[in-house]
Amino acid sequence: MGTLKIDRVTVRHKEKVSIKNVSFEAEKGEIIGFIGADGAGKSSLMHAIAGVIAFEGEVRFDQHAYRSPKEAEGVKSLISLMPQGIGLVLYDLLTVDEHLRFFADIRNVPQDEAYHTYKTRLLKMAGLEKFREFRAGNLSGGMMQKLSLICSLLHRPKLLILDEPTTGVDPMSRIELWEILDQIRREEGTIALVSTAYMEEAARMDRVLLFDEGEIIAQGSAKELIESVREMTYLRTPEAPEGTITTLERSYSLLPLSAEHAEPTLESLFFVNALRTNRAPPPVEITRRDSEENGNPVLMEAYSLTKMFGPFVANDRIDLQLKRGEIVGLLGANGAGKTTFIKMLLGLHSIDGGELKLFGRAIRNTDDRQALKASIGYVSQHFALYNDMTIRENLLYFAAMRQIPIDTALKRISRYASELGFSNYLDSVPTELPLGINQRFSLAAALLHEPAVLFLDEPTSGVDAIARSQFWELLSALKEKWGIAILITTHYMSEAEFCDRVVLLREGGKVADDTVANLYALHPDARTFEDIFREYYR
Amino acid sequence: MKIGVIKAYILKELTELVRSRFIIMVYLMPSMILFLFGYGIRMEVTHARTLILDNDQSPISHQLVSKFEHSKYFDVTLSSVSEDEALRRIKRGESDLIIIIPESFEKRLLHAQPTQIGVYVDAAFPSRGVTMENYVKGVVLDAASSVAPGLAKGIIQINQRSLFNQAMRDEDAIVPGLIGLVLLVAPAILAALLIVKEKERGTMFNFYASPVAKAEFLSAKMIPVFLLHSVNIFIVFLWAVYLFEVPFRGSFLLYWIASEFYIIISLSIGMLISIITRTQIVAVVLTVIITIIPGFLYSGIIMPISSMIGMSRVEAHIFPVMYYNHILYDVFLVGEGLASAKTQGYLAILALYGAGLLTLGSLLLRKELK
Repeated sequence: MGTLKIDRVTVRHKEKVSIKNVSFEAEKGEIIGFIGADGAGKSSLMHAIAGVIAFEGEVRFDQHAYRSPKEAEGVKSLISLMPQGIGLVLYDLLTVDEHLRFFADIRNVPQDEAYHTYKTRLLKMAGLEKFREFRAGNLSGGMMQKLSLICSLLHRPKLLILDEPTTGVDPMSRIELWEILDQIRREEGTIALVSTAYMEEAARMDRVLLFDEGEIIAQGSAKELIESVREMTYLRTPEAPEGTITTLERSYSLLPLSAEHAEPTLESLFFVNALRTNRAPPPVEITRRDSEENGNPVLMEAYSLTKMFGPFVANDRIDLQLKRGEIVGLLGANGAGKTTFIKMLLGLHSIDGGELKLFGRAIRNTDDRQALKASIGYVSQHFALYNDMTIRENLLYFAAMRQIPIDTALKRISRYASELGFSNYLDSVPTELPLGINQRFSLAAALLHEPAVLFLDEPTSGVDAIARSQFWELLSALKEKWGIAILITTHYMSEAEFCDRVVLLREGGKVADDTVANLYALHPDARTFEDIFREYYR
Repeated sequence: MKIGVIKAYILKELTELVRSRFIIMVYLMPSMILFLFGYGIRMEVTHARTLILDNDQSPISHQLVSKFEHSKYFDVTLSSVSEDEALRRIKRGESDLIIIIPESFEKRLLHAQPTQIGVYVDAAFPSRGVTMENYVKGVVLDAASSVAPGLAKGIIQINQRSLFNQAMRDEDAIVPGLIGLVLLVAPAILAALLIVKEKERGTMFNFYASPVAKAEFLSAKMIPVFLLHSVNIFIVFLWAVYLFEVPFRGSFLLYWIASEFYIIISLSIGMLISIITRTQIVAVVLTVIITIIPGFLYSGIIMPISSMIGMSRVEAHIFPVMYYNHILYDVFLVGEGLASAKTQGYLAILALYGAGLLTLGSLLLRKELK
């Protein structure tokens, strides 16, 4: 089995060029990481290599050369593609076992002794052997992705193309996914092309390709790439001159700064590239809000909150306090009960046990819940936007729902638009915009009624590095200027470090609730927050 | 063609259909359409509320009135209100029909002088009005012939005999047409959904990215629809013959074969729709529009194709409904079967139509992202 050679491949979507003249090569057993902002063309290139989209140029794999999906038919038995989206290729109503049988059948895999041994091994590696009779629709996101991966490995492909397999997946499942991938490529000599939004993952790959606007702008091992931006990376300097990007941790500048250099990461590549192409995002500024704050420092209190779905305990006696000017990170594996908990706090789920207090007043009846909703802002996992209305119309609609007078609403919309940086997009519809912009304007929609508490459910999932860092700056500015309390869930362990306090859920129960510094003190061996997370899930 | 691949896909489709309970729709919808339309459409008028003003009060006028009273088509009320009041009742929707027998009706008849009976019909629904008017004419002529046989003989003899549908039963005329509608709509919807569902969900990638051939994929999608709906051919037949008591005079084999061809046409329409649409909801709406309207218009329920002119006639010939319905009415009501050259031709057209659409669909289906 030979090598993969991509020769001047171009992919067009109607008039738009998604990938232009890209070439690279990969050796047997190599894992190649694709990183880049969304819309940079990573998926298009993967689709072209998998032979599922028309392209120009030539792909050569093994002995086959192909220039169109039709010519690629011959190599499809050697390739596997796992497209972007959790459980995208799974059938909700089929069980795990039925999936394996289906994928083996359509790939014409003889179901002999060797196959069954291999299948059992894959199931075991994925931790799915106990769930063989479960329907895919009832699995957690992490399990769905593991199932998709083993389904795409059944025919022992020589080229594995994985498009963001870990986006929206919890850290434990991510680790398992990587273990499977690593073993398989070692044993089978499979070439794996993997795109990812997690830079910790990219750092583990043999080679990383950085995509920007349809081109590969840098490639090499993670180490080489990181070295290339060491010169431009500094410790955070708030009073930096023009032409500097400052994030919560670091500052980047092409010109030398007087500040001390910081240790760069793969994320630094994005910022340096933004500086080079003159696309540096404007600095974040938030003005104080209209409404006055009241004195009580504790905004929301939950005592022993419990939620049952039939016999299943989704949330088991969880206590939580949200104080003014505090960002609390709610972490846990897929299915640990984070979303359920937030929905209970929101009044979207009934409370099966325990008590919820807002501003020291218990929430008991429908009127209380109404009051609760009026002082909470919520951004759901899937931004609840109307795709047929422009951003401005969306925001006006949300304002009307909150019964905000029209002149106040217009004033706030224009202020948020400029402060959150989407004023250029007010008259576009959400489907035309990158995820990062939609994320910010969903935040604006949740802030229109100037809530005291803000709930964010995986707002940064799938959003690129720069947009994420900007988002966190926004949150920290909101916290300081507005004195707002923020409860946020995320699968990026690096983001946990930006939280004032972290609450860890496991199987519906709370297993940790402390500041990041205290947690590091409790676990002296941990190098990153991911290590701490793993401690609690052992 | 790898049989294993097709089998795996078919097994998957059937499992999904059963678990999503969509299978209930597959068997409920055709029967529902048959019941709703079969019982819902009524061309004949019975129990028309009839107000008779008998201003003559003579033996002959009484005889005429009793003719009306003894007909199932009329519910007669005799009254002596004024004409104006009677007309007001029609306006208020209290009567459908007013018959006014003038004074000296008998006298004029016996003197062989022309006389007139006033008939007012509520024709808000024109076809219902025309039907009632014809019934009234029939009753009057009938009464006239029995009162004065010599007078009527040879001049106003009415001898209507409807061919093929002697009893003039609505069911006989409507139910076969409905079968043509049902078997066009239901398989098309299912076929469209089976492909679009995968596009909408993303599972289409399993086809795109694997060595599964287009022919295998299409067979796997079409065979379950074909088999499931073949059962419906028998179900709707049983409803027609045993519930609606439509006579069946032709060959069952002809009915069966023509229906299978027709189902192939229908599922090919569904397949074509699923090629151009991306979401299930659009696919369903489009299928319903494309199949129900011609299925109903050109079914012969509302008007026979032979009385269509111009554009509608051309359209009728473009859609497959007309050919199938011709065969349906033949096997149910006429019974000529393949002895008729027209039926032979129409059966051949159905077969060609199905083969053509199926080929078109497989040419248009692409194994790549747009």
